Amino acid sequence: MAEAPQTTPAGRTPPLPDEAAVIVRAAAGDRMAFTQLMEHYQSASYGLAWRILGDPDQAADATQDAFIHAYRAIGGYRGGIFRSWLLRITANASYDILRRAQRRPAGPLPDPEEGAAELPDAGAVNPLEEATKSELYRHLERALRLLPHDQRIAVVLCDVYGMDYNEVATMTESALGTVKSRIHRGRLRLRELMAEHKELFIR
Amino acid sequence: MLNQGHPDDERLSALAAGDIEATDDATLRAHVTSCDRCADAVRELGVLRAALADLPDVAPHRPLRLLPPVEADAPSAADRLGLWARRLFAPALTAGAALAMVGVIGTAAPSLGGMASQGADSAPSERTAAADSSVTQELAAPFASGDTAGDGGGEGATTFGVEDEAAGDDFARDATDADAGLAERSPWPMVLFAGVALMVGAALLRWILVPRAG
Repeated sequence: MAEAPQTTPAGRTPPLPDEAAVIVRAAAGDRMAFTQLMEHYQSASYGLAWRILGDPDQAADATQDAFIHAYRAIGGYRGGIFRSWLLRITANASYDILRRAQRRPAGPLPDPEEGAAELPDAGAVNPLEEATKSELYRHLERALRLLPHDQRIAVVLCDVYGMDYNEVATMTESALGTVKSRIHRGRLRLRELMAEHKELFIR
Repeated sequence: MLNQGHPDDERLSALAAGDIEATDDATLRAHVTSCDRCADAVRELGVLRAALADLPDVAPHRPLRLLPPVEADAPSAADRLGLWARRLFAPALTAGAALAMVGVIGTAAPSLGGMASQGADSAPSERTAAADSSVTQELAAPFASGDTAGDGGGEGATTFGVEDEAAGDDFARDATDADAGLAERSPWPMVLFAGVALMVGAALLRWILVPRAG
């Protein structure tokens, strides 16, 4: 069922060198250790929130909410990949904001290439990325934003952040079959949208 | 399920993602190995998934607060107190200010009223003037009576002076009574004090109870 890869590709925050020790200290109430963890993973957390919500300010709010939840929950952290733990919290916080705002448009987000572009500069996140890769990411982010709302969130959670179908179903309060269908249709739509940029996939 | 002999595209997506329900489907796998169109679709969907999984993290567009404020430590009682202090601060301050204002006006009103009525209500002044003149007359009376012993006019003057003195005393007593009554009954300074106390109290409670960001 859950076949998403657990990759840690370039451009994504790798674990802290002494992460386990820092987590232990943070869980024991060391505020400096907690700060160190959040500082390290804030781009991971913010990226997820931004891809779910599509709005920079809402994404920042969701990330802040996630940090507060994480602070309260870290005492009960029971191991596993810390990044995944924090991203789950972030996804929930983001979805909470969506729910609270009753902002669930069925359609896609406004195309950032029409009017004021608000896509973050992926090159600035990792200046060492090759130009082709940056170009691919840019087109891919744009294509994601053109997906219908539910499909985008499902694809983001599953394919971008490696959550399994069950997790996505729980998080979005949807039936498993519905989630699978959204993900498949989202991927197929992305494939269509990316058809004119096939050359970027050759690496 | 089949579309012009091809499997449904969602099945191809499931196969590209390695979903067991698709990879265990021998018919599906057999079709894909022998069909270029479907093989291309599965390959491209696989590449797409890899690219999605490769999307980089995104730096926040504005600085984030990495550490929740201290109240996140104890979200229970202190949090609620702080919330109430914050909620009640503005109404308490407004009520205090209004009360103080009423107190100020109330305290100032009698003297303002006195000044305003000095011209119109001149009776007390006249009576005071009369009393003053009676005192002078009384003081002058012994000399007058001495000078004009047996003079009915002097006696009359003395009598008049005594009567007037009594009238003056009455007025002085009246005035004293009125002052004492004012001091006893006037609630205004207390209202002013209560208003100021309410404002100070609200500010103090807020300062103590509402946790400051840090």
